[in-house]
Amino acid sequence: MSWTWFHKLGSPKWFFHWSKSLALPLFGFGCICLLFGLVWGVAFAPEDYQQGNSFRIIYIHVPAAILAQSCYLALGLSGLVFLVWQMKIAPIFIKAVAPVGAVMALMALVSGAIWGKPTWGTWWVWDARLTSVLVLFLLYMGIIALQNSLNDVTLANKAVAVISVVGLINLPIIKYSVEWWNTLHQGATFTLTEKPAMPAEMWVPLLISTIGLYCLVAGLALWRMQTEILIREHRSNWVKQEVMKDGL
Amino acid sequence: MTYLSFIKTEFLVLWRRKQDVFNALLFFIIVVVLFPLGVNPSSDFLAPAADGIIWCATVLAILMAIEGMFKEDYTDGSLEQLVISGLSLSLLMLLKTTAQWLAVLLPLLLMMPLLAEMLYLPDGSFWVLIVTLVIGTPSLFLIGSIGAALTVSLKQGAMLVMLLMLPFYLPVIIFATSAVRAAQLGLPYLGLLAMLLAVFLLSLVIAPFMTAIAIKASTN
Amino acid sequence: MQSSAFLTISDLWIERGERDLCKRLSFDVFSGDVLRILGENGAGKSSLLKVISGAISPLEGKVFYGGQEVTNDRHSLQESILYLGHSAGVKKVLTVEENLRWYCPSVSSSELHSALEALGLLSLLDSSVNTLSAGQIRRVALSRLWLSKQKLWLLDEPFSSLDAEGVGILEKRIMQHTASGGAVILTTHQDLLSLHSRDISLSL
Repeated sequence: MSWTWFHKLGSPKWFFHWSKSLALPLFGFGCICLLFGLVWGVAFAPEDYQQGNSFRIIYIHVPAAILAQSCYLALGLSGLVFLVWQMKIAPIFIKAVAPVGAVMALMALVSGAIWGKPTWGTWWVWDARLTSVLVLFLLYMGIIALQNSLNDVTLANKAVAVISVVGLINLPIIKYSVEWWNTLHQGATFTLTEKPAMPAEMWVPLLISTIGLYCLVAGLALWRMQTEILIREHRSNWVKQEVMKDGL
Repeated sequence: MTYLSFIKTEFLVLWRRKQDVFNALLFFIIVVVLFPLGVNPSSDFLAPAADGIIWCATVLAILMAIEGMFKEDYTDGSLEQLVISGLSLSLLMLLKTTAQWLAVLLPLLLMMPLLAEMLYLPDGSFWVLIVTLVIGTPSLFLIGSIGAALTVSLKQGAMLVMLLMLPFYLPVIIFATSAVRAAQLGLPYLGLLAMLLAVFLLSLVIAPFMTAIAIKASTN
Repeated sequence: MQSSAFLTISDLWIERGERDLCKRLSFDVFSGDVLRILGENGAGKSSLLKVISGAISPLEGKVFYGGQEVTNDRHSLQESILYLGHSAGVKKVLTVEENLRWYCPSVSSSELHSALEALGLLSLLDSSVNTLSAGQIRRVALSRLWLSKQKLWLLDEPFSSLDAEGVGILEKRIMQHTASGGAVILTTHQDLLSLHSRDISLSL
């Protein structure tokens, strides 16, 4: 297997040109998929016999929660890549994805709260999943705060990579401890996601909207990365050509 | 510079700056006092909450103490000297964290009997509380040193260190207070102590290494 | 070629924040050398010293020491380097003696006394660094040059905040060091009075 693609990733210029034609299709495809999954789930999927119509919020809650975790996983891995191989694109990726991940976590929290009101009677329950998403959200905010506080680019790159890697190592422990803590304090009687034997007409739209949100986030991340690359490499000639190509 | 002269100097500096350690301990006491005054002074509330109050106050005091851990070394240039000393920076960081830990933990432990009495900590769980403090706080110092190293170049880093580090402290707080509570209920608690120990060992392997990376990036 | 040189820098390229410094800089350091790095403010004089000491990594380029490449693993080089940066690396809450014992734990007290005597600090042996003036603190940092056995000295603005007498003492010490086979790389904006140096200019 050839590893040239891996080394090419070290060059922001190569990445910019490679990803330029990719961002818009991904984003568009993601939007369509998400919309399709949402409409199917909200309007046509059968009603849940236990929770009624309120369960339909899972079509946004579950994809957002999955994305929030996937984004953090990606952050941690690229932090590791940066610390080990000094790959220039990795900190750009972290800077681009962290706010997106934070928004996903916030979406999961808000939709969870909205679902909680009719189901549990309160906006917030210290349920294991909600609590770990809350912690995840705080972890994202920490990364963003650190990124914004450090003015020196070299230091910010390293610092954010370090905290992402430490977060990646810690996340399973935090999740496990929160779940364990929850059993001790007796939380919700039934949860949002663990429905035994969900019928196909219920989980297929869920799958579609999850895939849609993945593509949407990937497109968004590529866009944000391209902008960041242009900002960071603004002194180099290829950026000047790139900007001048479309006129001012 | 040798490892021995480094650790000697660390303790000497800590001794000269003992007021900083006192400040952290006073802060700890004030946080503890807030609970009876702010929530409820009756033993019905305090007795079941005592271990949680003590642990939360400990975490806050440690975060306050740890934030300035590298500040003076950074401004006077000795951090730079550590980086190029030819000694292992990770090991130096581990030694420094150990010194800080001892300086804060020992007086904290001395205050525990008094505080346990004031908060009506149920009998039989006192020694478990002490054990959780002894094996739980090293993780807090090790993980916290990463945050302190990352923010050493900032003038106002205290809030950022709290924001960065508190989520990582959650498992330690959960396992520690659960162990104390299990002991109060007469349930087995050794498994929880083992979890605390596992978190400590993991931090011991990872944190000095990460702190060294952060210090090296910060002294640029 | 590399065997005769003590330290070789080849094709060095440093990146600091947004700027490229020292593009394609190469030079050799031989024992007995006094190398003076010249350049405007911001030309990368301090960065160059930091790269040699290993505090920062260069973007490109190699560092050879004693014929071996040490670009990635500086430990062997760092053992024979004495680096004094802008900030002195002197702890304020400690006394002069405690500071020096930190860096040089193995020196005898007679060595310590003679070094401090040379710099006129002997009477301040037990006073806390807090009470000293900037020039005196600089002298405390410099007294490591009398106590350490390292062969290569990297001095970043060693003459700053020193009085004329101090400059003379330091120049004499540098001459002694190079005469006994050591080497010195320094940055300064002042003219050297009695030292003969090879100059390296950094341009922006």
